[in-house]
Amino acid sequence: MDQISIYLETILSIHGLSKRYGRIQAVNNLSIEIKKGQVFGILGPNGSGKTTTLSTVLSLVSADTGSFEWFGNPPCKENLKRIGSVIESPNFFPYLTAFQNLQIVAQIRGIQENKIDEVLQATALYDRRNSYFRTFSFGMKQRLAVASALLGDPDVMILDEPTNGLDPQGIAGIREIILAVAAKGITIILASHLLDEVQKICSHVAVLNKGNLLFSGKVSDVLVVSDSFELASHNIPELVKILSLHPKFDRVEENTETVVAHFKEHVNPGELNSFFFEKGMTLSHLCERKRTLEQHFLELLAENQHDQTA
Amino acid sequence: MIRLLKIEFKKILTYKVFWILLGLYFIFLTLGIFLAEFMINNMINNMNKHFPIPFAHITLYFFPDIWQNLTFFASIRFILIFPAIVIIILITNEFTYKTIRQNIANGMSRNEFLLSKLQIIFLLSVLITLILAASIIILGLSHSDTQDFTGIFRKSAFIFGFFIEIFSFMIFAFFLGFMIRNTGMSIALFVLYTLIIEPVIYFLLKIPSLQPNHISTYLPINTMIRITEYPSIPVLSKTMGFQIQDHVSFLACMIPLIYSAVMIGIVHWSMHKRDL
Repeated sequence: MDQISIYLETILSIHGLSKRYGRIQAVNNLSIEIKKGQVFGILGPNGSGKTTTLSTVLSLVSADTGSFEWFGNPPCKENLKRIGSVIESPNFFPYLTAFQNLQIVAQIRGIQENKIDEVLQATALYDRRNSYFRTFSFGMKQRLAVASALLGDPDVMILDEPTNGLDPQGIAGIREIILAVAAKGITIILASHLLDEVQKICSHVAVLNKGNLLFSGKVSDVLVVSDSFELASHNIPELVKILSLHPKFDRVEENTETVVAHFKEHVNPGELNSFFFEKGMTLSHLCERKRTLEQHFLELLAENQHDQTA
Repeated sequence: MIRLLKIEFKKILTYKVFWILLGLYFIFLTLGIFLAEFMINNMINNMNKHFPIPFAHITLYFFPDIWQNLTFFASIRFILIFPAIVIIILITNEFTYKTIRQNIANGMSRNEFLLSKLQIIFLLSVLITLILAASIIILGLSHSDTQDFTGIFRKSAFIFGFFIEIFSFMIFAFFLGFMIRNTGMSIALFVLYTLIIEPVIYFLLKIPSLQPNHISTYLPINTMIRITEYPSIPVLSKTMGFQIQDHVSFLACMIPLIYSAVMIGIVHWSMHKRDL
């Protein structure tokens, strides 16, 4: 799969980006490459440099060092017209209606006004198109921000914490829209501090902490980093003995009633079960344990913390 | 250019605060123009109580002096701050609502953004100047017997002076709005500087030396609102030491324009330098 993605068009490439605010290094020598069609998550705790990175590539903030290219072009306003963005909070005039606010966006981007109704319908705001923005609930404001980003079929959509502060219903609504956009093949760049969100929506992820890139790759690669199994039978010592005969066996942790078996490579649970059966042992318990992105994320953060204090 | 104006109109046309402040400005402007004559004549009545030979009542509305008189009273600081506050609000709103960030992220360049605001200042200056010019012509025709073209327009250069006054004054508002970015702070500093700080500095500098081309006359607001330095009212020139001004000086027009250019330059530089 990765061999194929090399040939895909590069949407955004960031080279050695650094930005300092006073004593705080917001982004430190960051390099990321995002290809066409990816749903790219930028994951990190608050203050990890996500918003600074996105603000930089949207020409809102100037970097101290480093550079970036959109669609292989150096920064210019024509690039930005191909990008729909939702940055931090929804940014509209409270005294204008939803429709009037989107008219401004359409004028800036050179888009026909008849496209406005389409995006209002896609975000379930059509019925409220003539209501003032200030009368909207937070969820509706956020949906209007997404509608504005969708205006004119952008090639890329940037979402900075799109579900922050929303109720569960609002979160589900926004995610539904994002997944529908991704299904159309539009590249999505999503910044979030929620692992769950990245796990559910993204195909690729870059993990940031204190401005440093900790990891970048496919979500599926981080999701299952190694397999382990929780096993039990009436005879634990015998179980451990048989386990050590398995060709991919790595190590075992013995607990009182169960053991946790670690393997060097991926092992199919069915295959493991029949392996024991062939050796004349029936298992009373077999449970595959995937290391979740969350565990991995926390480990990455802990390692990084450790490196910094060391 | 037209595209930028359309965007700017969209932001303004249904914005109530904009129209309320502009409405207030026109009310104060009208009051200023009409009360000026009344108050001066009232003052003359009071003076006449102490003088054996009475002074005649004046009128501000005879051609061609009406051009000079009304542009003088229209450029009183207290009246001029209204359109300037409108400009501050239009600019700082963009920072308060972060719409400037969204506009730039949507593909408007920083220069286009500045240009759209400058266009509004220019158009608003033209509009106010035209309304004042129309009022002058109507008032002048209804009060004076002068009906020939040259008689009517002889001192009309003062209206161009007024245009520069109001334009540069709003550029000062534009400058503060973009530099401070906060509505309350910008308005407070603007009002404080225009109505208190600069007048105080002016008098502190002026009093020790009373020569005419003193440095104090080059303070920014002072140059901006005193292109029409004195009204053309002979009785006041005699009794209150007003100097006689019969034309608009080229230098007096250039200095506020130079101030404007410098302030636009600083805003331009800072927009490209500072993060949004």
